[in-house]
Amino acid sequence: MAGESLNRIDDTVLVREAQRGDRAAFEDLVRRYDQAVLRLALRLTGSEHEAQDIYQEAFLKAYRNVGSFRFECSFYTWIYRIVTNLCLDHLRRKQVRKEDAGVVVNADGEEFSIIEQAADDRPNANPERDLLRRELGSQIGRALDKLTPRERMVFELKHYHGLKLRTVGEMLNTTEETAKNTLFRATQKLRGALAGVRGDARGDGARRGQAL
Amino acid sequence: MKCEWVQQNIMLHVYDELADDARYELDQHAARCEACAAELAAAREFRQTMATVAVADPTPNLLASSRMRLQEALETTQQGGFWTRLTFDPGLWLRQVRFSPALAAVLLLVGFGGGTAVTFRAVKGSPIDGPVATVGASEEANITGIRSITPEPGTNRVNILYDTVNTKETSGSLNDTRIQQLLLFAAQNNTNSGVRVDSVDLLKQRMNDSRVREALVYALRYDNNPGVRLKALEGLGSYVKDDVRVRDAVLETLTSDTNPGLRTEALRVLAPVRADASVRATLERLAAKDGNKFIRDQSRAQLAQLPELD
Repeated sequence: MAGESLNRIDDTVLVREAQRGDRAAFEDLVRRYDQAVLRLALRLTGSEHEAQDIYQEAFLKAYRNVGSFRFECSFYTWIYRIVTNLCLDHLRRKQVRKEDAGVVVNADGEEFSIIEQAADDRPNANPERDLLRRELGSQIGRALDKLTPRERMVFELKHYHGLKLRTVGEMLNTTEETAKNTLFRATQKLRGALAGVRGDARGDGARRGQAL
Repeated sequence: MKCEWVQQNIMLHVYDELADDARYELDQHAARCEACAAELAAAREFRQTMATVAVADPTPNLLASSRMRLQEALETTQQGGFWTRLTFDPGLWLRQVRFSPALAAVLLLVGFGGGTAVTFRAVKGSPIDGPVATVGASEEANITGIRSITPEPGTNRVNILYDTVNTKETSGSLNDTRIQQLLLFAAQNNTNSGVRVDSVDLLKQRMNDSRVREALVYALRYDNNPGVRLKALEGLGSYVKDDVRVRDAVLETLTSDTNPGLRTEALRVLAPVRADASVRATLERLAAKDGNKFIRDQSRAQLAQLPELD
């Protein structure tokens, strides 16, 4: 908490300098959060190109509007709010287009599954388990794609980014209670979609064979 | 505790979103109820299964190229300030009109009607007398500062001397919206710390207004005058149990404020909060290693008062 507070205070100083037109201060702010922003955009768009576009648009928007930032929330919440809005727009468009789930197009135009791509670098990894893990990853990807954009966003921010639902609510301009309800719905849908899927691929033998 | 409540909150428990007391009760219930214990195990299993898919960090190449692209774009991008917001942007208007058929229709009708009226009068040969349209600028936009705030003793009336282009004065009850707006303005924008102290002190009487709480949280976090921060803390104290944003701001004061008196007051204000993991964690940390002996001792004493949890 003390670390977070210090970060927030540093952010305040940088934002004030950026508001006075100091571009270097703004670039410092970018470097604090851009990795997280790019990671979120990459997961939600499934495309390096589109993630880069969202990254670019989000920070340019922040730069143009930093003058009107009134410190009513942290800079971190503010930039995430911009990114989540852009990602939600993207997810909505994607739902209309019904693109392939979890398939990423890299900068060279090659397609691969973002979920299957995550390498298993644990020391005791073996090919059979790796295969099971990749299959499980594909099923999870398809289940995630069945969520509404908002459910997907709340679940991603909570589960994969570890944010508190209070913060998620602030980012999505809604209440903590609504974020809780959305998480509940998302997990119900995911559990339904993944019913019968085994957790074998995790490699924790103790729970083998247990359905979700 | 009913099974239905447990089923609805089990995911919040698994994702560490339940308050300490609710978490404790849920665990106790699950220890007695086989169905809820199975549900809890399944929920934990779900979380672990979803964690199978790790979040990969963007590659260094992707990050570097994104940064370079952004830097190039920043070279040619202007920051939008107050004046830019006031500037007429025909492109933006056209885009808005494009996506707002109703607005487009209204603009067309107004334009058509206005044009017809002017043509009619021109044809009749009579000059258009007086101003065609008077746009009165909002008075708030002209306020440049608040000179003084003087409460009338024994009443809830207040006298405020404020500057627009010229200095103006107004008075009224604290229930008056106009007075409230001026006080909120003074709390956040005035350069005179005495005026900020006065405005925050008066605003404390209207803490049920969320705008007032926002303003006081802002003052507590960012005002550079300890007197203003102390007044804000006094006002916020009664909401520390119910409003999480208030609690966060008070916790921030407790951990980071440069003024030991304010930190001590923050500690006192937090005393009624008995089931919040952040408060407990902060107290534990302060009790273990805060540089201020009084804060350390007080934190220890307050920790001892908190209910035992597993």
